[in-house]
Amino acid sequence: MKRVARIVSPFVIASFTVGSMPAMATPSAVADGLVTTQEAVSADQASADRERIVELLSRDEVRDQLIAQGADPAQVEERVAALSDQEVREMNERLDQMPAGASSVVGVLFAVFVILLVTDLLGLTNVFPFTR
Amino acid sequence: MRYRSMKSARWSGALLFLAAALLSGCATTPPLSEDTHSAVPERHLIEEVPFHGQRDYQCGPATLAMVLDQGGRTASVDELIPQVFLPGREGSVQPEMLATVRRHGLIPFVIPGRLDAVLQEVAADRPVAVLQNLSLPWWPMWHYAVVIGYDLDDERLVLHSGETPRMDVSMGRFDATWARSDRWAFVALPPGELPASGVDRESAKAISAFESVQGADTALPAWQALADREPSLALAQFGLGNALAATRDLREAARAFGRAVDVDPEFAAAWLNLGLVLRSLDRTEEAEDALRRAAEIPGPLQERAREQRAR
Repeated sequence: MKRVARIVSPFVIASFTVGSMPAMATPSAVADGLVTTQEAVSADQASADRERIVELLSRDEVRDQLIAQGADPAQVEERVAALSDQEVREMNERLDQMPAGASSVVGVLFAVFVILLVTDLLGLTNVFPFTR
Repeated sequence: MRYRSMKSARWSGALLFLAAALLSGCATTPPLSEDTHSAVPERHLIEEVPFHGQRDYQCGPATLAMVLDQGGRTASVDELIPQVFLPGREGSVQPEMLATVRRHGLIPFVIPGRLDAVLQEVAADRPVAVLQNLSLPWWPMWHYAVVIGYDLDDERLVLHSGETPRMDVSMGRFDATWARSDRWAFVALPPGELPASGVDRESAKAISAFESVQGADTALPAWQALADREPSLALAQFGLGNALAATRDLREAARAFGRAVDVDPEFAAAWLNLGLVLRSLDRTEEAEDALRRAAEIPGPLQERAREQRAR
């Protein structure tokens, strides 16, 4: 049994090596150093390299901000990865002022209730379903 | 009895006066362009959009569930909440709405902030996700909903919104609430489909952002579609060239970069990429020519082009 293995195994190893060779060789067929589309999209190309560094730092900061806002740490990595460079920049600069779609009528004070009721009746707002 | 009704009439009169004093302008139907009536049918409702109700502050995840479903990607509200909801803000922010669409394999295209654009998408059976401020600017109540139908005659829209499926809203009231978000709206489309309301450089950016998340293989049909629909958009040809090069189709990539520089001869990045791809194809003379052009155009890529020529 051992002898068989000794004879067979070099062939097995060799076949694996040969089999994997084309797969390893192909990447060199693709041209190196191409300008990526994201680079070309970036409006101010003069500072493309500097921007790249800022971007990486921004992504870290956005990740920290999301965790601070209570996002699930296990999800944050993927959430940040799905943002475009431009979106990362926006989130980093003004996440606090961004509208956060939520819509809950809870907590609206009475005075506000009255005014919004009127504006609802005038067709300017859409807070209370019964005014439609 | 009579006295009471007079009293209540007086009350409502006072309230109306107050409101009129507080606000200038009124909810009138926003003007639709002349073309709209000829461009889209009088009325349309996308019947099959599934309704996902929101709980608490979850209109973002619920809206995403609806548009993803229509695009053939099923995701439950519960699955989407940890991906997009931000507990500290008790809501979901716009960039993350778009990012989550990308994670699920669809391309989010922000469409022009015009009611015509929304109607054009709905007429093409694409539900439109919108951001509204249902309340007033000083007491915002931000809300995501999905426009699924309209009626030009009655000037009404149909929305899946909050806990209400097929909510019927007048165009005037909708526009008043939508205008407060700067009329933000998007459609979520599978790669290869493009917004019915038109394409431009922003569409190319949307595809590029998608490509960064999902890879060139997945984004290739989208580039192909954009380059076919808008051949004069240099960035579309450029993006197509890069996606083709990444999927190892260098000959077609060279053609796409060639079209990009035909459209925009000052596009240094396209000349540079054209040169590098031609070099990989062993078309040395043409490659030299393209790299020389790239090196001649002033800008940040000049140095990079010179280095490549020296190799």
